[in-house]
Amino acid sequence: MKKLLIWIALLAPLLTLGLFALSKGWFYPEPFPAQLTPEAFSRLISDTRTLKAIIDSLLLAVLVSLLSLIIGYPAARAIGTQDFPAKKYVWLAIFLPTVVPPLAIGMGMSILALQTGLSGTPFGIILAHIVPTLPYTVFTLAGVFARYDENYEYQALALGASPTRIFFAITLHLLAPGLAVAGLFAFLISWSQYLLTLLVGGGRVLTLPVLLFSAVSGGNPTTISALSLLFLAPPVLIIAATARFLGENPNSVHERI
Amino acid sequence: MTTVTFTHISKTYPKADAPVLDDFSLEVQSGELVSLLGPSGIGKSTLLKLIAGIEKPDGGKILFDGESILSIAPNQREAVFMFQKAYLFPFLSVGENIAFGLKVKGFSPEERQRKVAEMLDLIGLPGIENRRPNELSGGEQQRVALARSLVIRPKVLLLDEPFNSLDRPVRLNLQEAVRNIQRELGITTILVTHDLDEAMAMSDRMALMMGGKVAAVDKPNILFQRPPCMETAKFVGVETFIEGVASSGTFVSAEWGELKIEDADKNGRAVYAIRPEHIRIQKEKCENALAGVVKNCIYRGAQIEMQIVLGERVLRAHLPAKNEILPAGEPVQVILPKEHLFIVR
Repeated sequence: MKKLLIWIALLAPLLTLGLFALSKGWFYPEPFPAQLTPEAFSRLISDTRTLKAIIDSLLLAVLVSLLSLIIGYPAARAIGTQDFPAKKYVWLAIFLPTVVPPLAIGMGMSILALQTGLSGTPFGIILAHIVPTLPYTVFTLAGVFARYDENYEYQALALGASPTRIFFAITLHLLAPGLAVAGLFAFLISWSQYLLTLLVGGGRVLTLPVLLFSAVSGGNPTTISALSLLFLAPPVLIIAATARFLGENPNSVHERI
Repeated sequence: MTTVTFTHISKTYPKADAPVLDDFSLEVQSGELVSLLGPSGIGKSTLLKLIAGIEKPDGGKILFDGESILSIAPNQREAVFMFQKAYLFPFLSVGENIAFGLKVKGFSPEERQRKVAEMLDLIGLPGIENRRPNELSGGEQQRVALARSLVIRPKVLLLDEPFNSLDRPVRLNLQEAVRNIQRELGITTILVTHDLDEAMAMSDRMALMMGGKVAAVDKPNILFQRPPCMETAKFVGVETFIEGVASSGTFVSAEWGELKIEDADKNGRAVYAIRPEHIRIQKEKCENALAGVVKNCIYRGAQIEMQIVLGERVLRAHLPAKNEILPAGEPVQVILPKEHLFIVR
């Protein structure tokens, strides 16, 4: 019974969205749409602007996740495995972007982007997205590193492996689940980023959230619902795939004799 | 075949008050198994880390066959580790784990396969190449870890309490296996342990560590029977220490009375000691006999532990199990045979 309620709570909004997206001419007081048609979807998919927004958003989110992982890895490793003076303040500095109101950061970054000529460029948007994603990747990876046993690496070292080889042959494998989760966080944050894209992109870079917001102000429920579902699909698919992958490969870092 | 020499090694960890290693010197002969024995936190593991290049010494030298290794990159030193945990790479099969070092060195797949099979025969687990580490028991994992370390024919094998997490029968079995394989391959080995029995059973020589340096190093039987100082004596289980003055074969102690000793040329203040197994208990008086009363008798199977009250002190003797168990309050003679009394200070 409890399970059923949870499923209803989870699925009801999605079903409503789906119904709206497929409806045509659904007016009060009709309980169901007069006509169901995938017209809204086909219209969206045939619209090059929407297609480009989807591809751009995906590329952006993937690039941002990768860069966040690359930038966050050394910081997380230092925080998770070592003790050093002022560790607390380093933590605080890394976390600051999540505490300060996004609009405050966004306005500042917008001005900075205009001054440096990065405004409206993909590179500028990528940099802007890394600001909110980095704290989450560092936080997740630091937790992974706190439980990480460097002796695996020392074993490889003693067996003659070079540091580069150890990183690719040992560390990446051991950390894969943690890296996947951290990357997923970054992906989701970047994927759903509206404010920073708008402020730093200056309206010239159209991502899916930007399109969605303009559609919402347009007020056509069918278009809004169809767009929302398109917006939801990639994260849901990725989370499902990751959950499956993590389920199959339980985090090997905790493995004990 | 490598001789390992430590000269005047010192190491202090940042933020620590006292050095973990302080003027540590030791030479391990080629093909020898030397154990470093001492209470935990005494810098035994640090020493292995220095050899492997995980840590750097503050001063002193480490030489392999007379050549300093401190300037050599850690992955070129050919000193391999075996820890308390096997640290098999969980995402590789047993065969791939063992072949890891060979792959790094650029051996061909056929050679790798052949050597892996050889090593698996040597550790007594033939044919398990395709198993996953998590399908093996703790003892098997340690054997595979040993195979992975030895397949590259390292110069030095470093054992950091590798048997600690295992059950006693598995542990004894593995100790014997490691010792046999080490002898067969003639690999210079340093074993770190706090377990006296393990050190005695496995080593050619034992080095007792105290205060960051070697307090005593010798063959296990010599260190066990005749530890050279009070601290080492306590570590190998000596409990009876007698303070007094020696003069030409007699040793006079305020608490113990007059005892005969073997070294006739020792004169002046000294402390003598005796192992609990060497104390004899009997009814009749003889040389070096002291009158006492049985306080407690504990049957331990292989031996009988007898506590005897002598004046104000309690002395503990380990008697062969064939002795009879005496009731508390029984008057006895405690014999401290002079050939077993040794000087510790």
